[in-house]
Amino acid sequence: MKNKILYLFVVVALILSACGGAGSGQPSVVRIGWASGPDSLNIGVAWLMAAYTISELTYSSMYEFKLDGTLVLDLGTDVSASADGLVYTYKIRNGIKFHDGKPLTAKDVAFTYNLVKAHTDFPTLNSYTEHFASIEAPDDSTVVITLDQPVPNIASKLVFLYILPEHIWKDHSEGDAAAAFENLEMIGSGPFKMLENKPNEFIRLGVNKNYYGQVPKVDEVIFQVFSSSDALVQALKTGQIDMITSVPNTSVASLRTAANVKVVTGAPLSPDLEDIIFNMVDPTNCPTADGGLCTGHPALRDKQVRLAMAYATDKQKIIDIVLLGLGAPGIALIPNGTGEWFNSEIKDYAYDPAKGNKLLDDAGYKDANGDGTRDMPDGSLPLTFRMNWPSSDNAAPRIAELLSEMWKQLGIKLEMQAVESDALTAKCCPALDYDIMIWSWVADPDPNTLLIIPITDSIPTGYNETGYSNPRYDELFKLQGSEMDGSKRLKMVWEMQKIIHDDAPYIIPYYAFAVQAYRTDRFKGWLDSETKLALEDPSSLTIIEPVK
Amino acid sequence: MGVRPPAQWSKSLNRWLYIRNKAGRSFFTILFVVVLNFFLFRVLPGDPARQGIRDPRLTQEAIEAIRVRFGLDKPVINCIQTVNPLRFGSCEVNPLETQFFIYVKNLTRGELGISFYYNRPVSDILGERLWNTVLLIGGGQILSIIVGVVFGVMAAWKARTSVDYGALITGLVAWSLPTFWLGIILLFWGSSHGFPIGGKATPGMSSYPFMTQFTDVLWHLVLPTLTYTIVFMGEYMLIMRSSLLDVLSEDYILTAKAKGLSTFQILKDHALKNGMLPLVTIIAINLGFTVGGVIQIESVFSWPGLGGALFEAVSRRDFPILQGGFLLIAISVILANFIADLLYSYLDPRVQIE
Repeated sequence: MKNKILYLFVVVALILSACGGAGSGQPSVVRIGWASGPDSLNIGVAWLMAAYTISELTYSSMYEFKLDGTLVLDLGTDVSASADGLVYTYKIRNGIKFHDGKPLTAKDVAFTYNLVKAHTDFPTLNSYTEHFASIEAPDDSTVVITLDQPVPNIASKLVFLYILPEHIWKDHSEGDAAAAFENLEMIGSGPFKMLENKPNEFIRLGVNKNYYGQVPKVDEVIFQVFSSSDALVQALKTGQIDMITSVPNTSVASLRTAANVKVVTGAPLSPDLEDIIFNMVDPTNCPTADGGLCTGHPALRDKQVRLAMAYATDKQKIIDIVLLGLGAPGIALIPNGTGEWFNSEIKDYAYDPAKGNKLLDDAGYKDANGDGTRDMPDGSLPLTFRMNWPSSDNAAPRIAELLSEMWKQLGIKLEMQAVESDALTAKCCPALDYDIMIWSWVADPDPNTLLIIPITDSIPTGYNETGYSNPRYDELFKLQGSEMDGSKRLKMVWEMQKIIHDDAPYIIPYYAFAVQAYRTDRFKGWLDSETKLALEDPSSLTIIEPVK
Repeated sequence: MGVRPPAQWSKSLNRWLYIRNKAGRSFFTILFVVVLNFFLFRVLPGDPARQGIRDPRLTQEAIEAIRVRFGLDKPVINCIQTVNPLRFGSCEVNPLETQFFIYVKNLTRGELGISFYYNRPVSDILGERLWNTVLLIGGGQILSIIVGVVFGVMAAWKARTSVDYGALITGLVAWSLPTFWLGIILLFWGSSHGFPIGGKATPGMSSYPFMTQFTDVLWHLVLPTLTYTIVFMGEYMLIMRSSLLDVLSEDYILTAKAKGLSTFQILKDHALKNGMLPLVTIIAINLGFTVGGVIQIESVFSWPGLGGALFEAVSRRDFPILQGGFLLIAISVILANFIADLLYSYLDPRVQIE
C-alpha cells in the first residue's frame, strides 16, 4: 500500500516535470554546495566567512589575497610610502566600472575607507582602520592614506576593505543607516555580479563581462545551502552540485570512492586555531580591577608541568581520532597555512610520556598519598585540573577525552566539563577562573592579530587568556608592530613563536585541513594544489572551464 | 444523555455565547504569550552582542556599538537591568525607554524588530519562511488526512480481517518511524532517481515562466511531503480506525443495519460524523504546532521553513526572531484550537451547552 502511494507520487511528479522541462545546455553554471550562506550582504556587519567569500567574488579590493598567503596589488597599480612610514600614496587602475556601469574612482576608495573608519558598529572591519588618520583622493586615480603611527603590512589592513560605490552608499553612510543597510543589490566591481539572493536557499552570481582582470570562463556561479551534510554529500555524488566548500571529515572516505569526484585538502584560507590553554597567570599580574579572580591551579604556573604535559600529548593520535587524519600536528601560535609567517624551524616536543614523567619527578611532584594522582611538592594539592571548553565546539569533547587518557600516564587528573561559550568567556577572560581550556582563535592574514594575544597588556582586556607575561615577548611585539623592513619583522615574528613554543602557555594540538571536493566531469582547472585550498575563491572560479 | 433539546432562540444565543467565551480566552492566551516570549529568551545564557568574541579584531567599542544598535544597552524593564545574570538597575528609568516597552510598542505597530543575526526585519524573514512551511505542511496534512481517513475507515469497517490487520500494522509502523531517519532513507532513494534533495526550488528559475517555476517547486516538494505524509498518515489512520470502531459498536448502528441500510449509507449518515470528533482535535493540534515547522524534515531536505529559522535563532541568541516566531506559533496553535472548537460545536451540538 505504501508502495502504491509512492509510485503514484512518482508518476504524478514525473508528468508534472515533463510539462515544464527547463531549457538545457547553453549557459555554463557552476553549482556549489555549502552548509550556510552569508548572514548579511552588508560586509560591514557580516560575521560569517561566507559573506567574505561572496564579497571576494563581487567586489574589488586594493590588494588580492593569494593562495600562498601573500598580498599583491589588485585595484592598486602602484604604492609608495613616505620615509617615516606615515603616508601611503596609491595609484589605482583607470577606467574601471561598477556593475551598474558607473565609474569606480579614487573617490569611491577614499569614501569606503572613511566609511569604515567612522563606523565602530562595523565590528570586524573597523579595527583595520585603527591607525588611519585621514584618507583622501586628490584626483580620480590617487588615494593618500595618512597614518598616526607606522603600520607594518598595510596590505593586510586594506585587503578586506572592499571598495563600495559612493553613489549608492552615500545615502546609507550616516549613523545607524550604514549598519542597517541590507545592500541586497551588492553593487561592486569584482569578476561576478549579484543576480539573485534567496537567504538560506541560494545565491546566484553572473559573470561581469567588463571585469578588468581575468574574466571568468563560466556564465554563472550558484551557491546553494544544504542544511544536512548527508544531503550535501549525496548531492555531489549524484551530480546535483559540482563542488562542496567544506566536506565533513566523516564523508571523505565515501567520497574518495565515488565516481567522478575528487577530494582535495590543504590549509584553510583563514584558519581557526584550536588551542589547549593553560591558566598560568602570576598572582602579581592578576587583573583584579577588571574582574580577575585568578583561581588557576598553582602547578600550571610551573613550566616543567606544562612541558611534561606537552611531552605526553600524542598529537598524531588526536589528529587520527578527532580529524580522521585530516590535519597536521600543531606547533606554533601562527598556523602553517599563513605562508612565510609560520616558523617552520621549530622542533616540536616528541611524544614521550616517560620524559614527561621524569620532568615531574625531578620537579618534586610525587604521588604522596598513593591515590594515583601526583601532588604538589609540598603535598598541599593533587594535580587535578578543571578542563573546560565551549559547548559549541564539536571537536573539543573528543580532544579532552584523549588528553585525559594521555595525561593520566603522568599522574594528572582532569575534571572535564563543557560550558556555554558566553559563560566560559565570563569564567576565563579576564577573570582567569579556570585551569585548562580548549578553545579556538580566528586568524587574520597578518600574524599581528594572533601575536597580540599573549602580551602582558592583553591580560586585563581578556585576550591574554593564559595570563602569560614575558618582557622579551612584549618588547618583540612592540618592535614588530612598527618594523617596516619585512625581513626584519619576519625574524621577530619567528622568534616570538619560538618563545611561546618553549614556554608552553599553549599546546596547539593540530592545524586542521580544509577539505573540499568537486566533480571532475563538469569543470576543469580548479586550483587544488596551492598552499591554501579555497576552490570558491576567485582564483579558481575565474579560470575553471566546462569539461567538453 | 438526558440533555433537553433547547428552544430555537436559546440555541443561537448559546452558540454566540460559546464563541464569545472561546474568543476571549484565546485573546488572553495570546497576551500572556506576548509577555512570556519576551522574558523567556532573555533568561537564556549568552550575550547576543558577543558572538564574535574570539576574534582579536573585535574591540570593546565595537561590542558596545552592537549593543546600542539593537537596544541591548537599555534596561530590560524598570528596576531590572538584565535577566541573565539577574542584575537590578534603577527604578527611575522612563518605562518607555526599557527593552520590554519598546518591544510591546513595536508589536502594537505590527513591527517584530530587526534580526540580530541577519540584520533584516524579522517580519520579512518569518514571512518567507512561513509561506514555505505552509506549502510543505499544507500538502502533507491534506494528503495524510485523506489517506489516513480512507484507510482508517476501511480498516474499521473490515475489522479483524486481513485488510484491518494490514492497515493496522502499516499505520503503527509508519507512525513510529523516526522522521529524520525516514527522511534520509527517502533522500538517498530519491537522489538516485533524479529527485532534487535540497531547497525548495532550482536556483535560477526566476526568469522562467510561472508554470515552469510552479512545477519545479512541486518537484522539490515530493520527497519532503512524502516523508511528512507517511508519518502522519499512520497517526490519523490509527485514530480514525479506533474511534470509528467505537461508534460502530453502538446500538443505533445495529438498528441502522437492521433497517437494511447499505454499508455506505451507515458510514456516511450515521457513523462518520461521530467518528470524526477525536480526529478533528488531533488535526487541529497538529495544524497549529506544525506551523513551527517539522524541523527534522526541514533540515534533512534543506527546506527553508520556520522550524529551521527558530532552531538556528536559539543558538545565535537572535531574540527578535525567537519572539516573532514563537508568537506566530502561539497564535496559530490558539487559532487552530479555536477553529476546532467551532467545528466541534457544529459536529456535536452538545458542547455548547456543557
